[in-house]
Amino acid sequence: MEAVLLRARGVPDSRAIATYLAAGGYEGWKKALAMAPDAVTREVTDSELRGRGGAGFPTGRKWSFVPKDHPGPRYLICNADESEPGTFKDREIIEHDPHQVIEGIAIASYAVGAKTAYIYIRGEFVRWARILEEAIEEARRAGFLGKNGLGSGFDLDVWVHRGAGAYICGEETALLESLEGKRGFPRLKPPFPAVVGAFGKPTVVNNVETLACVPHIMTRGAHWFASIGRPRNTGPKLFSVSGHVNRPGVYELPLGVTFREIIHEHCGGIRGGRKLKAFFPGGTSAPIMTAAEVDVQADFDACAQAGTMLGSGGVIVLDETVDMVEAAANVAHFYAHESCGQCTPCREGADWCKDILDRMVEGHARAADPETLLRICRFSSSGMTICPLGDAYALPISSMVNKFREEFDRRIGTATPLPQKKLPVLPWAGPRPGFGV
Amino acid sequence: MPKLTIDGRTVEVAAGTNLIEAARAAGIEIPFFCYHPYLTVVGQCRICMVEIQGQPRLAVACATPAAEGMVVKSETSERAREAREAVMEFLLANHPLDCPVCDQAGECLLQDHSMEEQRATFTTHMTETRRTFPGYESRLIGPHVIQNQNRCIHCSRCIRFTQEISETSALTYKSRSNSTFIDTFDGKPFEDPMSGCAADVCPVGALTVRGFRFRKRAWKLRSTPSICPGCSIGCNIFIEHHERVVYRFSPRENPGVNATWLCDYGRFLAESLNEQAYLHPQRRVSGQLARATWGEVFPALSTELKAARSLRVVASANLSNEELYLARELFGRHLKGEIVVPVFPGEPRRMKNGKREWLTSTDAHPNSHGARRLGMATVDGEGLVRFLRGAAGTTVILDPSAHPSLASEEALQALGRGPLVAFARAKHPVADLAGWLLPTPSLASNEGTFVSSTGSVQRFAPAFAPPGTVHRTATGAMSPTCPTIASPWGPPGEARPLWVVLSSLAREMGVATLDLSSPADIFALMARTEESFAGVDWEELGVQREQRSYRERQHVG
Repeated sequence: MEAVLLRARGVPDSRAIATYLAAGGYEGWKKALAMAPDAVTREVTDSELRGRGGAGFPTGRKWSFVPKDHPGPRYLICNADESEPGTFKDREIIEHDPHQVIEGIAIASYAVGAKTAYIYIRGEFVRWARILEEAIEEARRAGFLGKNGLGSGFDLDVWVHRGAGAYICGEETALLESLEGKRGFPRLKPPFPAVVGAFGKPTVVNNVETLACVPHIMTRGAHWFASIGRPRNTGPKLFSVSGHVNRPGVYELPLGVTFREIIHEHCGGIRGGRKLKAFFPGGTSAPIMTAAEVDVQADFDACAQAGTMLGSGGVIVLDETVDMVEAAANVAHFYAHESCGQCTPCREGADWCKDILDRMVEGHARAADPETLLRICRFSSSGMTICPLGDAYALPISSMVNKFREEFDRRIGTATPLPQKKLPVLPWAGPRPGFGV
Repeated sequence: MPKLTIDGRTVEVAAGTNLIEAARAAGIEIPFFCYHPYLTVVGQCRICMVEIQGQPRLAVACATPAAEGMVVKSETSERAREAREAVMEFLLANHPLDCPVCDQAGECLLQDHSMEEQRATFTTHMTETRRTFPGYESRLIGPHVIQNQNRCIHCSRCIRFTQEISETSALTYKSRSNSTFIDTFDGKPFEDPMSGCAADVCPVGALTVRGFRFRKRAWKLRSTPSICPGCSIGCNIFIEHHERVVYRFSPRENPGVNATWLCDYGRFLAESLNEQAYLHPQRRVSGQLARATWGEVFPALSTELKAARSLRVVASANLSNEELYLARELFGRHLKGEIVVPVFPGEPRRMKNGKREWLTSTDAHPNSHGARRLGMATVDGEGLVRFLRGAAGTTVILDPSAHPSLASEEALQALGRGPLVAFARAKHPVADLAGWLLPTPSLASNEGTFVSSTGSVQRFAPAFAPPGTVHRTATGAMSPTCPTIASPWGPPGEARPLWVVLSSLAREMGVATLDLSSPADIFALMARTEESFAGVDWEELGVQREQRSYRERQHVG
């Protein structure tokens, strides 16, 4: 497949606006400005572009939810808080072609009527935040952004806002809270951000990759975009492959490619000639898939049908040497650390899972542990929490327990009891002054 | 007005009502921890899960508005029950099981819910080491509030209280995930003017009030509806008492005045109600105060008052409308005395009502509005001294705490020149001059009405008979002496509410119209004769004598 989103990779000086313009950059923006905002939204709806951040919600529909008659400002937010373990595709886009994202932001802002757009970028992405700021400045100087961009009468300001290091701020409502300067707690929905978003105004939050697709849809048409991939799962998709493969990296492939092709053809198979054991199809938040499921197509619907999700397209490949209990403990550690602490099942459950898995790894598994893990996961997912982080930790862990149950049971067979803790005998020092008040 | 069905019961509620309130209207209790009717809904605790027909997932009742035709299953839904059980397991996984030594026991939502709804066969699956916050088990975070972070269930009620009601934003979350804890912003002391309410809204024993901790078990307390005597805003309170000792005030819900809040100044007046310096009527005989009986007081005093050359009466804005009315009628109209009500501005106080508007008061008294409504003359400190220095004659002081300048040297000098009748509860220098010293009980033993700064007439109920001798126990608690086992709190004292004394005096003087046997009767007379109270009905002001306290009613109201 021809490179679309990553066409600038390998081009010298690819970040400069001149290089981007030479490759036909900002033509989509010009074309969009000549159209009515509704027509732009319709074009994106027709392309069947689905959000690349993880949930796969149709982008055109998301834009159409913004109330047309709302007085006052609206906002467009580009979610560059790429923190999902095993995902590094947005960084790749920004690294090689930041103008693609900025053009997408401009078109999307025009479509939803936003005069201010924010790029919420992960705090650790210092280099990429600078790249974006430079690119915005270039675009502004070239007259694409700012007051009366391209003489169209449409004003647009784009700002880069750096996060402060929380995974949860990739969740769109937590992102909004963080953007507003508050603690990154996801909000109760409804109301959805399209109605009440940043600063209480209608807001659209789109992923970097989603927005990077938009200029191509505008220049080459919805039909061209829809011709890539499968029906309802259209367009190119970036897969960031990591783990035990020979050639890890970011690959641009049409949706609907099988995981076998990704792992064995594009990434050159498993490292050291070992066998595939399992893989995460879309970051660790997606339920794990076994080697037997490698022929599933990598798109939103096929993954959903296989009981997992495409998520961000961060494929993490595990070979036969991996111990699933340790892998589960690794996953649990991440989510126990990144839970925001707001709702009960996720706050208490993620940490509890971590404690159990740590104990199993240390060789002190108990007979009831797998069932307890499954129970914790069951009551942390499917609507038990405000945001999807409950599902994000519960589904992979429960899928690992279910699909590799014998490894968990083996741990129980070889377990030793926890060593008894000796409590120290404290010397009686008399009542402490000021204690207990 | 959506009509919906909850657990088979159909109920019609106002639009926008959430399912917890709708269920309550139908007589069904949906458990909650983070929900509070006067704070924003956050849906964090996840205990209020209900099943709604046609929705694949369970919904949180607190954040779901009632809709027409909605069919909700709460207790009848096995899925919802399972989910709640799981949430309880999550909450209790790290909550210390220290109820016996926790001061919140008895008024703890977590304890109540686990006692009420946890199935008897349920056992936890938790076998790990419990999360603790070393150093945060008994931390004084402000002048009045003690934090035990181990018990916190992260409901964020206290944080929302400081953000939305007291507007200090003094409390905040720190850290994240399972190590999230409550701390004061920037580590500053929690010096919120309503800090006690943060402990009130805490559903568990994570925040407790320092002054009340370990004084009395919550289930021993009786709650009597009353009105805060701190200022003229007139916050509705419960006097919480046991064996004729007041232990605390807790806010009583009134959306028009104080919602469910109470400022620290008012809250900590509770202790002052226990002071009863004068226990018996006393009469000065050859320079010495000697004990008298009420039987002797009425005839002798009425003769004395009738014979007085001139009569000056210092009333007080601390008195109820009924007492002020009796005083005005008896001393002013029948004995042709001169009567004034001293008032003075106190520290400005404010309170947020249920509509989240600030009510303010600079009055130091609860009933200066009532005195004005009865058309009584008010004076400031200087005016009071001038009034006392006027023509020599008999002076009656109905409440020495009416004005601080009553204790000034000028005032005492003026009072020393003629016969003095003083009613008093707390120690006061006028007692040394009084010919008659008559004990009055505190607000807790009185009944009547106050007029609030918003103009509403509010009733307070008597909590207990006037206390007898009290002494301080080793723990500093006020406790009555125990002369007999049959009557562990001793015989009631002889202090009499002022309205009792005034109506008895009226009977003695033959003023039959004022010889009334209850505040209700006096109020009825007032409503008949006073234009400013016309049409107000005592029963409609109604407070039941004994109500369950707000803390207990957090489940149902």
